Amino acid sequence: MSATTIERPRAPGRRLRRRRALVGWTFILPNFLGFATFTLVPVLILMYLGFTSWNAFGAAEFTGLENYQRLLADSTFHTALLNTLYYAVFHIPLTLGAALGLAVLLNQKLRGVAFFRTVAFFPYITSIVAIAVVWNMLFSPEAGPVNQFLEAIGIANPPGWTTSTDWAMPAIILVSIWRDMGYYMLLFLAGLQAIPSELYEAARIDGANAWQRFRNVTMPGLRPTTFFVTVMLTIGSFKVFDLILVMTNGGPGTATLVLSQYIYDTGFVERDFGYASTVAIVLFLICIGVTVLQFLVNKRRDR
Amino acid sequence: MRRTTKAGVAVLAGAMLVLAGCSDDGGGSGGSNGGGEGGSTDLVLAGWSLSTTPEFQVLVDGFTEQNPEVSISVLEYDAANYDTQLTADLAAGSAPDLYPLKTVTTLPTYQEGGQLVDVSDVASELSGDILGVDAYAVDGATYAIPYRQDAWFLYYNVDLFEQAGVEIPDGTWTWDDYVAASMALQEGLAGTEAKATYQHGWTSLVTGFANAQAGSDEEFLAADWEYMVPFYERAMELQEAGAQESYGTVTTNSLTYQGQFGTQKVAMMPMGSWYVATLLAQQESGDADTFGWSFAPMPQLDDSTLDAPITQGNPTAIGINAAIDEDKLDAAKEFLAYIGSEEAASELAAIGIMPAYTTEAVAEVMFGLEGVPTDDVARTAFSSQQPVPEAPVNSGTPPLQTILDDAHSEIMTGNISPAEGIAAAIARAQDEVLG
Repeated sequence: MSATTIERPRAPGRRLRRRRALVGWTFILPNFLGFATFTLVPVLILMYLGFTSWNAFGAAEFTGLENYQRLLADSTFHTALLNTLYYAVFHIPLTLGAALGLAVLLNQKLRGVAFFRTVAFFPYITSIVAIAVVWNMLFSPEAGPVNQFLEAIGIANPPGWTTSTDWAMPAIILVSIWRDMGYYMLLFLAGLQAIPSELYEAARIDGANAWQRFRNVTMPGLRPTTFFVTVMLTIGSFKVFDLILVMTNGGPGTATLVLSQYIYDTGFVERDFGYASTVAIVLFLICIGVTVLQFLVNKRRDR
Repeated sequence: MRRTTKAGVAVLAGAMLVLAGCSDDGGGSGGSNGGGEGGSTDLVLAGWSLSTTPEFQVLVDGFTEQNPEVSISVLEYDAANYDTQLTADLAAGSAPDLYPLKTVTTLPTYQEGGQLVDVSDVASELSGDILGVDAYAVDGATYAIPYRQDAWFLYYNVDLFEQAGVEIPDGTWTWDDYVAASMALQEGLAGTEAKATYQHGWTSLVTGFANAQAGSDEEFLAADWEYMVPFYERAMELQEAGAQESYGTVTTNSLTYQGQFGTQKVAMMPMGSWYVATLLAQQESGDADTFGWSFAPMPQLDDSTLDAPITQGNPTAIGINAAIDEDKLDAAKEFLAYIGSEEAASELAAIGIMPAYTTEAVAEVMFGLEGVPTDDVARTAFSSQQPVPEAPVNSGTPPLQTILDDAHSEIMTGNISPAEGIAAAIARAQDEVLG
């Protein structure tokens, strides 16, 4: 230990640098090995499988770009892609807004604030299957409480929710906002508490009203958190799978079929692992493309 | 010196962590046991939900009693992910020596993948009374031996029929009679909570009967699915009249068919033969009410098939892993010969399972069970119905089935009419699968 502390602040020698790098690598080695075995190698194999025809037995047959050609003409893939975008376009901003709103609300000195924070976080730690089953019942078109409430307040023809091709996706988006907002609220809360209170005091002395303080102190202070939340939400939205699988199984028809489920169906139900890999690669590229874009935009704003 | 020690410790610690992470025993996929000493052979048979699916142990016990030199252990897989887990084990070379084909439609996957031993020699020795063997034949060779043959019955609640003043099924029903009886029941049961009939959410509840009675393998595989339209129209007619619970309610409220029929919420229900044993057990345990019930053959398209009513029903068979050790193969084949025997069939019938081997003697065992309905109509349903798999056993089936599943949920929720829904499914199949 002492050897490290008496280190002189000059540029370390070559040997020392190498040794330090070695120690550093050693510390990440366990994690990296796990990552390589269970993520990196499978992903690389997947990249290859995307160019093959394979049903899990025997050798995969190399088919070149055939799968990608099929993808271009596959109308179900297009449906799944559009449905995924539909979900993402509404889920990302609405969850972000709801989480931020909750965080600002629950960052105040209220009576029982810990209780309300817990309540907001609860959906996130609840089993997704339980959530899906319960919400499915709530949304039940004939006897569900949601529609009974809507009828009680005078809506004559309430939507069929998960049994309607038009309303199934909105229903799913609502449930996933409700589920996810607590988690992101927690991140925002942490961000809010990192903003020095002097900034608010100074703003107040300058005569800034609540909205101005939010715009000019809170929002800039939350920039890093907002960026992180947006990236996580985006990736999460493109990968959405379990909630939809249990709530609607992609139906009615293909109204809520998203890319992840299409990959699952093609691979594990139809045993077409080659084509499923191709779709998975496309999903991977979309996720990485959008994330890189977000990083670039964020970087430009940083300047 | 000190620095090196530190780096060394770090490497060691890292390596130990990794080893600790990897040493976690895989558990589920047990390796194959080597051929035992003293001429005994150890085999492993795949199974699922062993606590509620006693059939595997019954078959194993019956066989090892006759062949004490062979021991068979049953390896449990997750029922819902059976094919996925089994595929992974087969691909990794760690799968059991013998494995059941949970659904007959998976045969092409395993057979074309080269994962099944040709057991034509076992099949040729089997008695002609065994049903469903043909389903496991590809180009003249047989790849698995069926031990179980489920068939779909029309279950009915005698008490509710009496209450509604409607004649119970007499075994001569066509689908028109079924609809007429449903409407009469609905009228007779007005004011009670019970509905006339129950159609569970599965696609096969409509397409399986349509395929068996009105379609052919060729039409199914060519996506000439117009024959399904009347079946969907009938289902929608009953649903819209309130004679059966709507598909939306069935799915959003996760209704169970056991709950619907078992607690007398419905007077009729088409369901597989496995439900006989379930209902008896649930009446015993109190999960189901005690009431008079029986089952009849499924309604037919017209009266030309009343003598040998056509229903849907899948066989379940066991095959031999192509990677089995040479010295175990004979014992494995003996086991397959046993599961296709009358003896095994009687053992299965004694626990309420409908065996593939159907003789009068086996039927006697089944109908001798306490609580099993013994009327003539039920007997006919058991002995005379001709079960046909719910969809063709062909590698082209799974992608078409996915399209039909989508069409099913869209039609049954009323988002599209039966004719338009089937037309759209046909177009999609032509475009994505057949084109």
